[in-house]
Amino acid sequence: MSEGKKKEETVQNEALIKGREQKERRRTLVALSFIAPNFIGFAVFTLIPVVFAFVLAFTRWDGSNPIQFAGISNFTKLFSDKFFLAALKNTIIYCIGTVPLTLIASLALAILLNQQICGRGIFRTVAFFPYVASLVAVTAVWKMLFSQSGPVNAILYYVFHVENKDLPQWFVGNLVMVSYILFSVWKFMGYYMVIYLAGLQGISKELYEAASLDGANTWQKFTSITWPQLKPTTFFVSVMLTINCFKVFDVATLLAGGDNNTLTISSTVLVHYIYQKGFIEWDLGYASAVAMVLFLLVLAVTLIQFKGEKNYANS
Amino acid sequence: MKKRKFFSAVMACSMVLALTGCGGNSTTPTTTQAPTTTASQETTTTAATTEASTTTQAQPSGGEAVTLKWAIWDQDATPYWIALKDAYEEKNDNVTIELIDLGSSDYMTVLATQLSGDTSTFDVVTVKDVPGYATLVQKNTIEPLDDYISKANIDLSLYGGATDQIMVDGKLYQLPFRNDFWVLFYNKDLFDKAGVEYPTNDMTFEQYDALARQVSSSDFGSSVYGAHYHTWRSAVQLFGVLDGEHSILSGTYDFFKPYYEMILNQEADGICRSFTNLKTEGLHYSAAFSGGDVAMMNMGSWFISTMISNLQSGDYDSSLCGNWAIAKYPHAEGVEAGSTLGTITGIAVSTGASNKDAAWDFVEFVSGTEGAKVMAETGNFPAIMTSEAMDIISSLDGFPQDEQSKAALEVSNLYLEVPYAENVSEINSILDSYHSSIMSGEMTIDEGIAAMNDAIGKIINK
Repeated sequence: MSEGKKKEETVQNEALIKGREQKERRRTLVALSFIAPNFIGFAVFTLIPVVFAFVLAFTRWDGSNPIQFAGISNFTKLFSDKFFLAALKNTIIYCIGTVPLTLIASLALAILLNQQICGRGIFRTVAFFPYVASLVAVTAVWKMLFSQSGPVNAILYYVFHVENKDLPQWFVGNLVMVSYILFSVWKFMGYYMVIYLAGLQGISKELYEAASLDGANTWQKFTSITWPQLKPTTFFVSVMLTINCFKVFDVATLLAGGDNNTLTISSTVLVHYIYQKGFIEWDLGYASAVAMVLFLLVLAVTLIQFKGEKNYANS
Repeated sequence: MKKRKFFSAVMACSMVLALTGCGGNSTTPTTTQAPTTTASQETTTTAATTEASTTTQAQPSGGEAVTLKWAIWDQDATPYWIALKDAYEEKNDNVTIELIDLGSSDYMTVLATQLSGDTSTFDVVTVKDVPGYATLVQKNTIEPLDDYISKANIDLSLYGGATDQIMVDGKLYQLPFRNDFWVLFYNKDLFDKAGVEYPTNDMTFEQYDALARQVSSSDFGSSVYGAHYHTWRSAVQLFGVLDGEHSILSGTYDFFKPYYEMILNQEADGICRSFTNLKTEGLHYSAAFSGGDVAMMNMGSWFISTMISNLQSGDYDSSLCGNWAIAKYPHAEGVEAGSTLGTITGIAVSTGASNKDAAWDFVEFVSGTEGAKVMAETGNFPAIMTSEAMDIISSLDGFPQDEQSKAALEVSNLYLEVPYAENVSEINSILDSYHSSIMSGEMTIDEGIAAMNDAIGKIINK
């Protein structure tokens, strides 16, 4: 009797477990089917190509003929390649110039446009406008403004009485990096300003009220409340900015490339060099090796930034 | 319950299929086809089936309906694609030529990328330049044509030596159908105004330099540039290869020096526009010459048809540049007049072509004498420059009427801007980059040339 009952119970239990398992499996399947579209797209168009690029860096391949293993020869070649070294140097200079300047400019704009000023909406739109405007169109305008006989040089000539022969050539030699940096700060600060604005609006007003009661001045409020409260935003902005700066291609091509997209030793950047080696000269192995260097560079900088973020969180 | 399970499984599968299917299809040309092609394809199919028995012409595939996909650029701005297609289809009514326009600015990059994915994307491809040709050959995407050439008994000497400069290990992978050469365009009005003699068909560089300086004027409001050099390196460096002893494959480039000196001195003296300004402002050479303040400009013969058509349509102001003419390229002391630079445009059969014999038949037509006639009628210079083709061009309405301009079309020695070599695209990039450095003043002439010698020397001696 009791044995029969027991048996019945186990059968019931098993059915229950089975049902639960089935339910579980179904839920997993449904979940997977939701993830699948995005993940398959990501895998096919990003993950697999990235892994493939790692492999390619150690080969010689022109995209059609069989792949030949080349060991580390692509990497040893890098150190004697004048154009690669120039591109690396230029990209780093560009980042060092652009990241802090954009950060400061966008923060300043955000604080300014967070005040109760008349026409705030219009000013916010104006500041955001460069980011929305087509890159190709605005580079054309910048090239006109900064051309040899353009308005900027005209101001230098008529207002500051710079000699004609001393007028700067904005897209040649050392100045070309300055042009890239100025352009990028102007173009991208609007976007980061919006992120900072969101951050500013998340700061509790009570903190400022309390500070005012304690007699803190504006600068003290900024250093003791605004800046620390904005740390997570600043972290996000700096990571995104750094990554975007290392990826610079369009700005360089459009400002200094000319009609046959040729960059010189002083104006070339890493991604342009990767494109040239990969898709003009079809040396995909070498191009991947350059891409690896770019990857390691971005990885290193981002790790340092993450470390800084952690330290901040602990303190 | 079961229904829902089944439904979710179907959903998941369809998502997977849609995604992977989308990835696989991206290389097929269906999306790039012109909407009219399917219609025209259908009509030709029916036409071919009804007329197949009546046609007695030597058909490449026995009268069967064939569609050839042909990679080209700028269909709307270039009159000869359609003209060649029509002429060929008229002769072979079982064949439909489907034009696939890849745009001109990065045509060779797009073409090479598409062919890397799938060589059957195109049956026939146009090859825009020699570095691009080298890429296509090395990627095994175009067929060697030697067997076809010997079978069809084609006389390569008709191409004036151009085919010798694009041989790859003794094999030929394309046939040129268009052959442009560089001439000197000049604006007669500006010479008349300055009271200076016109350029002649036999000028040394010293005479040319002196003439440019004489005709230029810096008077406010009516300033005239004696010469104009476009930003391409060919417009400056390649004066140096006209002696026939030097080439861009030499590995040492000291022979560029006198020409860089001549042009940078002209720039410093305001005889020509500054390279840096041209590059930043992106001034096109056609805008520079048609603006009416450039007395002489060295440019390829393709600009002749541009001038004619734009003056006729009124896009160029004929009071500014309507009185134009051409002269032979200037040359170094001791070099024969009429020595000039050439740029060939070739046509090739893709290795993935579904019907190679039909594709070859079209290539043979385009690059042969019949194609040459079509090219000349549209105002372009065919690779086979017969006296008939020359007459057609020089009697085009709008071609300069003076005898000298006609005589300027006679070429004595033609040197390709870029002859074939294995690493030619790498060499090309390096020369381009240092050319920009020298012309913009980032490097001195000596520094730039030393850098070219160093970088290209390494490649050649590898």
